[in-house]
Parts: sequence; structure tokens; C-alpha cells
Amino acid sequence: MTRSRSPRNAKKPRPGRSRVLLGWALKLSLVALVLIAGFAVYLDATVQEKFSGKRWTIPAKVYARPLELFVGQKLSKNDFLTELDALGYRRESAASGPGEASVNGNTVDLNTRGFQFYEGTEPAQFVRVRFSGDYVAGLAGNNGGKLDVVRLEPLMIGGIYPKNLEDRILININQVPPYLLETLIATEDRDFYSHHGVSPKSIARAVWVNTSSGAMRQGGSTLTQQLVKNFFLTNERSLSRKLTEAMMAVLLELHYDKREILEAYLNEVFVGQDGQRAVHGFGLASQFFFSQPLSELKLHQIALLVGMVKGPSYYNPRRYPERALQRRNLVLDLLVEQGVASQDVVDAAKKMPLGVTKRGSLADSSFPAFLDLVKRQLRQDYRDEDLTEEGLRIFTSFDPILQMKAETSMTETFKRLAGRKGADEVESAMVVSNPETGEVQALIGSRQSGFAGFNRAIDAVRPIGSLVKPAVYLTALDKPGTFTLTSLVQDEPFSVKGANGQVWRPQNFDRRPHGTIYLYQGLANSYNLSTAKIGLEVGVPNVIKTIGRLGVDVDWPAFPSMLLGAGGMSPMQVATMYQTIANGGFTTPMRGIRSVLTAEGEPLKRYPFQIQQTFDAGSIYLVQNAMQRVMREGTGRSVYSVLPSSLTLAGKTGTSNDSRDSWFSGFSQDLLAVVWLGRDDNGSTPFTGATGALQVWTSFMRKADPLPLDMPQPDNVVQAWIDPNTGQGSDQSCPGAVQMPYIRGSEPPAGAACGGAQESDSVMDWVKGWMN
Amino acid sequence: MNKWWFPVVTAIAVLQGCASVPRGNIPVVDSSSRVSNSERIQGKRPVATAPARGTAQAQSLPEDSGVTVMIPQGAGASPIQSFPAQSGGAPIDTTPIDTMPINTTPVTSDPNPVADEPFDIAAMSGGASAPSAPTGIPQNNRSGGLSADEQLDGPVLALLTTAQKQQGSGDLNGASSSLERAQRIAPREPQVLFRLAQVRLNQGEAAQAEQLARRGLSYSNGRPSLQAELWNIIAQAREKQGDSAGAALARQKAKVNL
Repeated sequence: MTRSRSPRNAKKPRPGRSRVLLGWALKLSLVALVLIAGFAVYLDATVQEKFSGKRWTIPAKVYARPLELFVGQKLSKNDFLTELDALGYRRESAASGPGEASVNGNTVDLNTRGFQFYEGTEPAQFVRVRFSGDYVAGLAGNNGGKLDVVRLEPLMIGGIYPKNLEDRILININQVPPYLLETLIATEDRDFYSHHGVSPKSIARAVWVNTSSGAMRQGGSTLTQQLVKNFFLTNERSLSRKLTEAMMAVLLELHYDKREILEAYLNEVFVGQDGQRAVHGFGLASQFFFSQPLSELKLHQIALLVGMVKGPSYYNPRRYPERALQRRNLVLDLLVEQGVASQDVVDAAKKMPLGVTKRGSLADSSFPAFLDLVKRQLRQDYRDEDLTEEGLRIFTSFDPILQMKAETSMTETFKRLAGRKGADEVESAMVVSNPETGEVQALIGSRQSGFAGFNRAIDAVRPIGSLVKPAVYLTALDKPGTFTLTSLVQDEPFSVKGANGQVWRPQNFDRRPHGTIYLYQGLANSYNLSTAKIGLEVGVPNVIKTIGRLGVDVDWPAFPSMLLGAGGMSPMQVATMYQTIANGGFTTPMRGIRSVLTAEGEPLKRYPFQIQQTFDAGSIYLVQNAMQRVMREGTGRSVYSVLPSSLTLAGKTGTSNDSRDSWFSGFSQDLLAVVWLGRDDNGSTPFTGATGALQVWTSFMRKADPLPLDMPQPDNVVQAWIDPNTGQGSDQSCPGAVQMPYIRGSEPPAGAACGGAQESDSVMDWVKGWMN
Repeated sequence: MNKWWFPVVTAIAVLQGCASVPRGNIPVVDSSSRVSNSERIQGKRPVATAPARGTAQAQSLPEDSGVTVMIPQGAGASPIQSFPAQSGGAPIDTTPIDTMPINTTPVTSDPNPVADEPFDIAAMSGGASAPSAPTGIPQNNRSGGLSADEQLDGPVLALLTTAQKQQGSGDLNGASSSLERAQRIAPREPQVLFRLAQVRLNQGEAAQAEQLARRGLSYSNGRPSLQAELWNIIAQAREKQGDSAGAALARQKAKVNL
């Protein structure tokens, strides 16, 4: 173009000088030619370098645990359907294609999508799941053949974004759904297959349309030019940029075929904004707007996405549904006009609703607390660039179903307790894990779910109050020669003088002494006096050592007040400590990540299951027994007004001074949860551990419906019959005799068998009370 | 003269325009990201990962040699037995804590859901009683019983078989990963822990192997042959850690348990 202009200008001068002029012009155009050629070579190199190398940086994607299906698995149909909905499965009358499910009474048919996991590929397949009660009772494949175990694809729960926050899911042009390419070409560049990068025809058409309508209605840019603009250039609007764009478009077409260019376009195009994150490419757009993989999209969805290319924010279907619908139908009309689709097909598509999900279900903000945990763990092993650019796939233990239940429990409980004065200012945190694997399954870092900010589950270090007591009793019970569950201890006032001359006078919560009690009662009822006494006897430093052996290194000073929980921990640390008790004395580091794959699906790193036995299983068994009594007869007993008595649980309440912190930590066989309630400014709350945190915990356990605690009795533990009044050995035949576990050798000598029936007295009655 | 300049200026302007483009070009983000030194980029394969799975299939052991699962001999008849400790110990139960576990384990308390399980197990035991037993788990398990949660042998068996294949082809990470998957499904199945301990031993993680075997022991009440195998793992693990006295002790335990 430049070349043709100079000669035209050169023809005008007077005849006398025309020769000289011509010479000049020739030279000039030669120079221009060389320059342009040089520039073209430079552009060409740029185009090729960018296009043949890695074209995009992809933020790491974080996935929830895949839902495993097998016969005998505890899983309710409702929870299963929730998971399917989150994964964007469509309910159809019959499941015929990937991502489709049909529900028929207790049976759910579905076609899974398949996925690349660390252990290998899970194929896409037809699965029929039969439910009975809250269990999976049948699992069959295509022709009714039994399936042993099936994994659904995991829910994507977020990504790790760089500063520019550009995100995409790369797609392959061979996997796009029918109509996508045709619709895109019909709408954006109908001469795509015939032009060479620039299309004079469409420019002419654009000029015609725009002048005749008197407004900018149509652009003349080809898809190639749009791609070049987005891919290589800035948004600057100038003639020079336009020219470069055109040159690059031509060069691109010279080197690469149409499908390659089209594929790049599909991945590059900007389709929407999700908070700070720019949604690029149809792959991510499909997930973002429909929660479905691109390949499953139907015509009406395709038309919507393609229509949005023209103005992603103007046609945002979530914000301006009518505008978007109009645009979609206009695109559909174009298809008829250009013979891409028949009138019938288009009419059917037009009848469909927009079908966008309520919000970006994979929005980065959905589960901020857990993602924060994942990022922290990843940053120990990867550089930021690896995380934001390499498209790593991070597989975590996050369980969206449990997370939802935890969030709902929190919200509902706060609603129920809203009447309490000052309840509004109370913040909260919660950790949910599987004690048998050490995996974190859900995390709440703030009362407001979805709020990314101060992650209290990890960062709020607060006095743990009576949550420390199991460590005191474990230290004692670890010395079976000195302490058993039925050792008699004094719950009486006393005082000790500290090294600094200060006198420490512990007090019970009810400010009353409880006299001579069995050791386990001190824990069950959370008595401070007896606990402090035991703690001082075993030694404060030893209790702190016990906490270290339970998996949490604290730097608490060895003051007596530490025995009653003056020391601080984060909810995550509490979970770590209780996990060791729940897991038979084996510590497990809390893990959120299972494995990492490269963008290509190659295994990269695993975070293996690791355990370390730090306590004798017998001592743990005894502490668990006492912690079960917390729930049956002690400070946690309110749970059984909500939960069935068949659900054996162990736990402990915690309340710090002036009710500044309300804690509960407890576990079943397969589920551990720690709840903390408190104010950020450390003010008093209207809650104790029992009236606040325990309520959330109970509500959560009711929803999660875990397996009852059932620690196998270790070899060194024996059950002995004792007289509940005296703690002396008794016999099974004696009325009122109860069984207590002891470390072998520490049990009281067996009592004589009882012949006749004896009267049971009042102390007996309360013992019986919690048994019924 | 003025008119001379017209084409010149035009040409220069145009050239200038073009020349300015590279400037505009600079802001383009270099998205062809730098390659880091991290393991993933260096090699297509992660450091410690074994050969590709494709070959794994080819090399893998004969189909049936898979996994020996300890199925009680009369599996079809009475597949579920409780731990001796529990069934023998306490007829009682004035103590709620002891009454709960066995009887109320949901699987058994709810009659319907998995009512057909025993048959599955029976069927599996047929399939699993493979000719060869390369795992080292003795096939005849005299007193071994399945606790309630071990009813889930269908998926566990499948995953142990997968792990076996992966291990056979040298893909220890894959095997480990499959076993951990099995462990999530049946966390208290000592055989899973046993196999995991074996893999850790092969991976050179003797300390972890010992720990996992110990965890397995805590779930192996009344299963002496499995206990013996677990003690053997502990012996080997201690040997590798240079603790020959401890190893001897463990070996003795292994004998006692048999």
C-alpha cells in the first residue's frame, strides 16, 4: 500500500524535473520497500516465535477430591445429585451423552466425562448408581456389568492467578461441539475460509453497512485480524497499528492453516470478566457460564457465547439477560440466513432459555479459606511463576459436599443464636478433616462464607481453654502405674505460687469444688481444679511436651495457667492435635493437596500419606474413652438431644476467660471438626464452648452423618468390671457393675461374684442415666 | 520544490508509522513463559516416576496373579466376623461406649442397603483365589475375619490389583497413589496398609514403612498371619535403618504371631 502511494504522488511534478523526481521516487520506494521487507521479516519472526511456542500462560487449576463411587459407600442420593449439579450434569430423561444424568427413583444413570488423574485415566463411561438408604447399593456399567469403583471428574474449585489474572482452559479444535465453528464464522467473519488474512470484501461490506445505517455497526476485521490484535498487539487505535495488524494477519495466514488459526482464536478470545479474572477462550467461558465442558454445549449456548464476542460486558448474560437473549437470537437468525442451520433447528434453539448458571461456579472466590491453605502449601514447593503460568493441575482433598454442610451449619446456627447480645460481632472459623487420612476436607475462615480475607482457620491463634485438657489427661494416663480412668482425684480449691511470686488460684466454671471424683470425670465435666492438680502432678513441661507429641509445637511458657488453656492455637493446630488422638496415637500432618500433574497430565508431585506413632495406643484408647464420656455425660452431652445415641463421638468443649473464645473440637470415626467462635477484637462473646461452638459442631455432624467412633481395643487394654461407687474391682454379676478400660496390669483386682440382687443407690442411678 | 517534499514526507511518515509499530509491539506480554528449573520442565517425566503406564500394561504380571485378599474361608456362609476382642470380651454392656461400635455400625444396622454384599464377597473370593500369590500374603488365613468396613472389598480389591500392576512395572508412585486411594475407601483395612508399607519399603522410605506396618497392626486383631507379615515388614524396615536389634525383635514377633 505504501509502495503504491509514492509513485502516484511522483507523477504530479512538472515535466522538466520529472526525471529527477522519478529517480527520487524510485529510490525512495526502494528504500521503503527494503524497510518494509525488513519490517515484514521482523514481524514474521515475531508471529512465528509467538505462535509456534507456548502461546499462553495458564494459571494452575485447583480441583476438589473426585467423588468415588462403590457399593457399600455411605453417600445419600441428595448429596450425590448436589455433586452432579455442581459438575454441571444435565438432568435428562435418559443419560445418553457425557455430562448427562437421569434420575429414576433410587437409581441415577449418568455418563461420566472421564479425567486424567495421578494414578491414571478414568474413562468416560455410563454408570448406573442404585441407592438404598444413605448408601450406594449398586454400581453397574454399560450392559449391566458390575463396576467395582468409579470416580467422577473432580470439581474445579479455583485457580492460582498471576497479576494480570488472565485465565483460560485450553481446548483442541477437534473437540469442539457441532455448530461452534460455523456459528463463529457466520457471525464474525463469513469469508474466513476464502480470505488471506484481510478481507477487502468484508471491509467493503462494513463500510456499506456503517454508512447506510449511519453508525458503527459492523467491523471489517477478519478472525485472523482479531486474533492478531488480541494476541500480538495492544488496544491502541491508530493507522500504524491497523497496518501492522493487517500485515501480521497476512503473515499468519501464510504460515499456518485455517484450523490452527481458528483454534488459537477459540482459546484467545475474551468472553467475560469474573471479578478480577479475565475469562479467555470458549473453553473457560463454557465452564464459567454453563458449568459444562465446551464439547457438551448445544446450539443455543454456542450462539450465546459467539454473540458475546462482540461485547462481552455489554452482552453479559448474567447482568443483561434480555440484551444477551436478543443478541443470541440474532446470531441464530444469521445461521438460517447463511444456511448453516435449518429454520427448525434454529427455532428450537430460540425457544431455549439462556441457561447460564447463577454465578461462575468456579469463581476464585467460592472457597477462599481452603484455596488459601492450598496456596500456602504449594508455595513451599513451587515458585510463583510455576503456579501461575504452567497450567499445573492441583488435586486436593477438598470435599464440596462437606464444605457446604459446614457453611450451612455455621449460618443456621448463627441465625438461631442471633438473639444473644453481641452475637453479631462474633466471627468464626472451622476445620473439617478426616482423621484416618489426615486430609483437610473443608475450611471456613470467616463467618461470611466466600469472603476472602483474614483466614481465621489458619491465622487466628487464640487461647484454647479446656481444649487443652485431653493433653493433660493423656500425659497422666500415659503413666498407667500412677493414673487410671478411675483414679480418685481431689477437685478442691488450692493455690500455687509462681516463680515470679504470683499466686495462681484456679477455679471451676461453676465456681464450686466437686470433691473426690474419678479422674475421667474431671475431663468429662471439664473441672478446672482437678485438672490443674493432675497437670501439676505430671508437670506443666510434660503436658507441653505431650502437645508437641500430638503434632503441635507450641512455645508456651510452662506456667500452670497453660494447664487450663491460656496458651493459644489456631483452629488448624487444634485439628492437628485432636487428629492424633482420633487416629490412635499416630500423628499425620494436615494435608490439603494430594498430587500435582503438569498441564499435559504428567505426574509431577505427590503429597503422600505419612504417619508417625507418638503415643501408645492404649493411652489414647483411655483418653478417647474419657472424651466419649464428655459427650455422653459431660459438657458435650447436648449433642445427643440432636444426634442418635448410636453415634459414638468424642470431643471437648473449650471456653477461654470471660467467654472470649468458644471452642469445640471432636470427632467420629471418619470425621473430625474444630469450631471456633470469637471476636476479632478479643472481646467477650455471649457463648461458652457448649452454647456456641458445640451448636455449630452438632449441626454439622447431623448433616454429615459420620460413622460412629470405633477404635479397635489395643492389645494392652483390658476391660474390667468395677463398682461405680468405690472404683474397686467388681464382677459382671453384680448389680450396677460397670466396665472400664485399663492398661493391662493397672486394673483393680476383680471382685467376687454377686449372688443375689443388690439395691442400687442414687450414685448408681446417674451412672445408669447416661447409658439409657 | 515544496511539492518535492510532499511524497518524501508522505513516504517518511508512512515509514515512520510502520517503524513505530515495533514500539507498540513491545508491550506485548511475553507469554511464552520462561522455563524454570523445576522438575516438570526438565523432563517430561517427574523425577521419581517410573516408566510410562503404557509399558506397565505390557510388562504386568499374568492377569490373575493380582492380589491375594484374605477372605475367610467360609466367606459365602458368614462373611462378617467381628474382632475377637469385641465379640469375646463383653457380653454386657452396661457401658454405652462398648455397646456401640459393632452392633450399630451403619452398614449392619441398616438391613437393606448392602444386603447383597455377602454374595459379592463370596463371588470375589472365588475370583481372587488366584493360582500364584506373589504378594507374600499367605492365602489361607486361618482366623482372619473381615470387620464391618472390610465389606468394601470390591473396590479395595480392584485398587489393590491396580496397585499391584503398577508396582510390577516399577511405577511405585502410581502404586502408592492407588493404595492411598484404597486407604481412603477402607481406611482400616490392614492389608492396604500392609501393601502401602511394602511399597514405601521399595521406595526406600524405611521409617514410613515401619510406621504404616504398625498402623496396620493396630487393625489386625485376630489375624495372626497378617500380623506376622506386618512384623516382617517392620523387621526389614528396621534393618534398613540400621537397627538390627530392633529388627531381630520384630522378627521374633513375626514368629510368635504365626
